[in-house]
Amino acid sequence: MLISVNSRNLMPDRDERVLLLKWIVALLVPVVAFTFVWSGEEIVNQVFLSIFSPDANSYDTLTIIQATIFIVLFYASVIALAGYAIAADSGRQSILGLWLDVLVFVLVPLLLIVWTSNLLIGLTLCAIVWPVYFYVRKLVRKALHYTPHPPPVPLKDLKVFDAQQQTALMRRAVVGGFWFATAFAVVSLIADIIFFLTGPFPTMLLIWVILRTILLPIVGYFLGHLGSAMALRRTLTAKTNGNGNGDGRNGTKKVSSRVSRRRQLQSLSSSRAQEESKDLVPNDLPLRSNGAQRFYLTILVAFVLFYPVLDPILFGPGTAGRLSGYGDAGYYIILALGLNIVVGFAGLLDLGYVAFFAIGAYAWGLIGSTQFTALTNIPVNPQIWPWLFWPMLAGAALIAVFWGVVLGVPTLRLRGDYLAIVTLGFGEIIPIFFLELDKYTNGTNGIPGVYSPAFPGIANWSSFTPVPYYYLILALIALLIFVNIRLRDSRLGRAWVAIREDEIAASSSGINLVNTKLFAFGAGAFFAGIAGAYHAAKLGVVSPDNFSPQDSTIYLAMVVIGGLGSIPGVIVGAFAVYALNLFVLAQLDAIASDPSNFLHGILQIFPSFTFGDIRNLIFGIILVIVMIFRPEGLIPSARRRRELHHAETETVEVGALDPLPGSGEFEAVVRVE
Amino acid sequence: MSIFLQLLVVGLATGAIYALIALGYTMVYGIIELINFAHGDIFMIGTLVSITILGLLGITDTSHPTGLGLVGIMLIAGLGSMLICAVLGVVIERIAYRPLRNASRLAPLISAIGISLILEDVGKLWKGNTNVPFPQIFPSTNYHIGDVTINSIYVFVFVVAILLMIGLQWMVRSTRIGRAMRAVAQDREAAALMGVNVDRIISFTFFVGAGLAGAAGFIYGLQYGGTIFSIGFQLGLVAFSAAVLGGIGNIVGAMLGGLLIGVIEALVTLIPDSVIPHGGDPWSRAFIFGVLILILIFRPSGLLGQHTPEKV
Repeated sequence: MLISVNSRNLMPDRDERVLLLKWIVALLVPVVAFTFVWSGEEIVNQVFLSIFSPDANSYDTLTIIQATIFIVLFYASVIALAGYAIAADSGRQSILGLWLDVLVFVLVPLLLIVWTSNLLIGLTLCAIVWPVYFYVRKLVRKALHYTPHPPPVPLKDLKVFDAQQQTALMRRAVVGGFWFATAFAVVSLIADIIFFLTGPFPTMLLIWVILRTILLPIVGYFLGHLGSAMALRRTLTAKTNGNGNGDGRNGTKKVSSRVSRRRQLQSLSSSRAQEESKDLVPNDLPLRSNGAQRFYLTILVAFVLFYPVLDPILFGPGTAGRLSGYGDAGYYIILALGLNIVVGFAGLLDLGYVAFFAIGAYAWGLIGSTQFTALTNIPVNPQIWPWLFWPMLAGAALIAVFWGVVLGVPTLRLRGDYLAIVTLGFGEIIPIFFLELDKYTNGTNGIPGVYSPAFPGIANWSSFTPVPYYYLILALIALLIFVNIRLRDSRLGRAWVAIREDEIAASSSGINLVNTKLFAFGAGAFFAGIAGAYHAAKLGVVSPDNFSPQDSTIYLAMVVIGGLGSIPGVIVGAFAVYALNLFVLAQLDAIASDPSNFLHGILQIFPSFTFGDIRNLIFGIILVIVMIFRPEGLIPSARRRRELHHAETETVEVGALDPLPGSGEFEAVVRVE
Repeated sequence: MSIFLQLLVVGLATGAIYALIALGYTMVYGIIELINFAHGDIFMIGTLVSITILGLLGITDTSHPTGLGLVGIMLIAGLGSMLICAVLGVVIERIAYRPLRNASRLAPLISAIGISLILEDVGKLWKGNTNVPFPQIFPSTNYHIGDVTINSIYVFVFVVAILLMIGLQWMVRSTRIGRAMRAVAQDREAAALMGVNVDRIISFTFFVGAGLAGAAGFIYGLQYGGTIFSIGFQLGLVAFSAAVLGGIGNIVGAMLGGLLIGVIEALVTLIPDSVIPHGGDPWSRAFIFGVLILILIFRPSGLLGQHTPEKV
């Protein structure tokens, strides 16, 4: 970039001061809450202490390295986000509005998680708090006759940036990053001085405090540049690259192929362009724009990646149980991603998805256990073939695909709900097979002693050390999300969507209906097969109890609650359903037995009551409520949102039938022969 | 041969119950194209309501009312179960399906699954999670025709079911409200334009369908002598496949499908251990769905369903 900002000129203008105040408060409060109310500082201090006085710390080097990376990524992202937000803000949202948003959507979850000291329960409480907030906000707005959003900005009014404006924007970002970091440094300094005066404080840490206070503003200055780069990439520039009139940086070929962003927007349908323009800079809601999401994603990925290390620092003892739980949530996510292909993309209602999951689990259960040797006398065990799990992961998936195709070939010609009942039947039949062919599968007892995967350098895969499984499922999810996105954007994916929208039109456009549907079925089965093999390996037992036909409806609920066809949606849906159905509701009993909790009162009124008895009841009520108030799902896919949005803005022409038939006016307008 | 005929009798009696439940599925599907997952659980609630009513009337396993007393008790329990289930059906429609009338197709389905889970737990909280005995009030006598033994309960169940189905068929074919139901099923908007109150007709459909499930719950209890909170989902699936087998949306088809599936389920038990492990009995559901899949492959709209060409 040709533009640069003089580092000596960091004092904000008068206009910028309000903006700085707005954003520094908005971002500083959550960061300070994370650092000092929760355990952010704990992590920082541990990292520092371990570097300077290795005897004092209780964590090993690997832990410290991971924690360091997380800390660096976290604070760097936040500072750069501050720069981006200040640069990208159009100034239309009021200060109080922004602060309220941050309070409700960032601070409240953070404090709830700290308060309950449990990630899942904290987030579940948020899911209760937010709807209440929306409802109250609606009531208040109605009472005050307040219309929340300014009318959408027409596309013609998009601001085009020349070089001078770009410099100004960049300056704002750098100033923002610098002052945000400085403010954070000052707050931290004050907090540390208070700690120093009130309690025991290792003197070694003082070095760190001084170092940090000096370093942060400098880091802020450079991260401000990063934020400005993110913002600049989203401005509309005056360059018309379309006719080779570019800035000369790109090769001629590239220039001719690149169309200016503005022209791109003009070529889109109005509703889609409206949506795309929401991510452009200047932006009304910078925190929700595409640019800010990059920073959230960085933080999220760092958090998820280093979670096993952070968990004991953030939530205290009990890490193994929590990680194991998240590992289970992981296969739900894979199942949701797979079912999303079948139901969300291709629009085929599959009510027997559990069958493919069971096939995948039994594929690894039958081959990767003593059962295989017992049945065939071929010795297969971890001593001989330690790596067998990895090819069989694909093998189990392919076996599931095979059965998906076997079921699909004759039945995919059926329409809509007939297909649903066939898959429902398939989901009933497969568990019966595994149950009754007990010569091979041990019937209700299941197959015990299923081997764990093996990986060089990781010796211990038992269920007491869930970390390897956590990373395994993380890798699988990452891979499958990638596959899912690529499938969605491929020619095949577009064919699926076409079929979902209108089968007849799709087939008239030359799409082979049966083959395309078969691919969707196969892809869905593939995902379920992988989830099944993972499940078998992690649990160590494959038994028919794990594959109740009713589970298929739970999987479907994950996809629909999350948002059909939306990849982030189904991930959130799977996590939410898992958290709710299998984790939170299962833990309510433990919580209620604690006399200090408000739920304890229920136990005193009904002594024999357990929450386990009403788990389905609560889950069912939540399903119905979510469907009634948000039938499109928690995070609807962009296409669906556009459709809904389109339906909202479409105005009915009220005057069309104004002159009533029979009236004189009507006779005058409509000539009746 | 005699064992075959014997099983046929059992199958027909079971099938009559399936058919009664299937009617609810097929009516709801016919009118709003929704697989009403909660229907099986309404049937389950019907069995529990019948037990409760009999309990309130002071009936136990040892009391054997006769004559008019028996008729009165049966009428009160049967009609009470029908009425309560019918009201339950209407309430469910009002709460969980009507707000979603214009949402995507899957939204009411998920809402139905939610209601099904709710009802299941209500049943569990109400009567516990063990088998609940059903008082055997109907005098059980065996009639012998050749080698075949026919129990009086089977006859009763079958006759009641057939009478209800005939009544339903008459209502749909020959009454004003039946005509309105058919009109709404065919084209909701056109029916509305012709002055049919669509919401009321849909409510009424749920009323009738759920009422039949209540009746099925009562006679199921008479036949099997017990019930449990989880039968709703299991029997519901079988009954729904009966509806699909006969051609969903088609009332006669649902009856035929129900009887057929009952008979298949009974005859499957004839398959000996030597053919498939553990004999035919544990495989019966696999056979039911296998037959269903086969029939759908060759007749994609079910046995009596009309093949409607898709309109552009």
